[in-house]
Amino acid sequence: MAFDVDSYAETSMGVTWQDLDFDSFGSQPLSQDTLRTLSYMCAVEYHTVCYLRDLLVTPSHKERDVNAFMTMWNREEYWHGEALAAVLARYGITVDYDELKAARVKLEWRDKLAPLKQSILGNIIGDDFVAVHMSWGAANEWSATAAYRRLAALEQHPALSPLLQRIGQQETRHTAFYATQARKRLEKSKMARTLTRLVLAKAWRPVGSSISEPEDLDHVMRHLFSGPDGLAEIRRIDANIAKLPGMEGLTIFETAVRPHDMRWPAPDPA
Amino acid sequence: MTRQNLSPEVVPAAGFSVREFARTAHGSHRASLDLDAYREHPLDPDTVAIVDLLARLEHGALSYLRSVLVTPTHKDARVTAFLVTWAYEKYWVADALEQVVAAHPAPQPGRGISRTKRLRLGLAERIEPITESVVANLIGDDLIATHTAAGAVDEWITQAAFEQLRDRSPHPEFVATLDRILAVKRPHAAFFAADAGDRLAASPPAVRLARRRLSRITWPLGSATEPPALVAGILDRLLPASGLALIDARVDALPGLAGLHLASTAAQKARKAAGR
Repeated sequence: MAFDVDSYAETSMGVTWQDLDFDSFGSQPLSQDTLRTLSYMCAVEYHTVCYLRDLLVTPSHKERDVNAFMTMWNREEYWHGEALAAVLARYGITVDYDELKAARVKLEWRDKLAPLKQSILGNIIGDDFVAVHMSWGAANEWSATAAYRRLAALEQHPALSPLLQRIGQQETRHTAFYATQARKRLEKSKMARTLTRLVLAKAWRPVGSSISEPEDLDHVMRHLFSGPDGLAEIRRIDANIAKLPGMEGLTIFETAVRPHDMRWPAPDPA
Repeated sequence: MTRQNLSPEVVPAAGFSVREFARTAHGSHRASLDLDAYREHPLDPDTVAIVDLLARLEHGALSYLRSVLVTPTHKDARVTAFLVTWAYEKYWVADALEQVVAAHPAPQPGRGISRTKRLRLGLAERIEPITESVVANLIGDDLIATHTAAGAVDEWITQAAFEQLRDRSPHPEFVATLDRILAVKRPHAAFFAADAGDRLAASPPAVRLARRRLSRITWPLGSATEPPALVAGILDRLLPASGLALIDARVDALPGLAGLHLASTAAQKARKAAGR
């Protein structure tokens, strides 16, 4: 799957919602469960800039294609945050810059050390570490796409579902970039494959778990992915990861999500 | 650990609507460039070389973000929301300039920087986020004023360069493109200056830090890795002394930053580095 960064950049735009019938949020109100999940998603989208930070400390940012993609991607994610904030505002839930700041301040030292660790690893291990970032980015985008798709299907709402589909379509383009980059780098280097497999297997956590309360993460995972349909979606995205070079047999999503009391069938015997 | 010195109700650059700025962001300029005009009436080679350098400097937005985001500045969601859109607009400004350059024969490469200097800069670039993430987190929120003041100074210098190019050019299509670029860039300087001004006014330690750090920067941002002769082409030959003085006066007007002479000193250094 090739990815044309120039045409991506030319067609990159903030997601729009002005044409959707937001009055339907009054006539067909969203459930409390959905509002809580949307708040979580909204915070994650606004915090993308923190993830951008981790990507920029490694040598990849000097590459032209990466530079163009990062710029557009970061802006699209910001607009996802704005779109979801506009939905939440219909229910009197405000997401403003100060609250976002408070969430980032809470991260404290763990967060302060993150760029340090990233830059030491990134600059010493160099190109092979970029493969880790790209694979990690692909994993995040696949899971985000799955989350939006699930919520759209669960709600069947005349305004929310199309909005989530629009956001999901942009996330699909992000996935294409990350997966293309990851595949190219993993194919080239055994060290990259070993390192990426190790990091994904040991360290991957659901997007947003580092910026949210554990009970909110529990809620979102159960709301979106509980039951057999949820498990099927999780296995579908695990299969995407497993198709990356050197990642055969990995089940990072199922492993990370299962502990959240998901009411899933027992795991397949290994 | 320093504390945030602004009282909670003070929002720096409150008069600047970040949401409105994001909503009205300007993307690709390609449709309005009229590149055929350059094939009939090309720009002179010196101008093309300057445009080429300005394109690379505009592309430096992600390098700036890299330095800024490893510090406490990344926690300020209003500043980062601004920077997301700012980087997007700068990407397309750089793209427009590159398109103009590409409509001409390839510019002569300027005298490069020495191999030793390149190695040193490369190493420094790799180490910077490592040391900066430690040092900056010890300094705390006072560093944000330095980052936004640096953004303002950089915008003032590059905008002055674009204005000079426009005022000296007899080329109507080029002038129209520069006018569009300047319209995109003016709000950038406005946000940076307002944010830095409010933060500096509220915190003497932020002023001390900004004075020290701004004096150590090679202006404009990103020019340290560029051929000195090209940089001198902007700072020494394109910008008149009165233009440099105007930039220095703007810096002087920021609370506590009087007397730094950043632009005129940068021009002197560029002239010396270029061996003129």
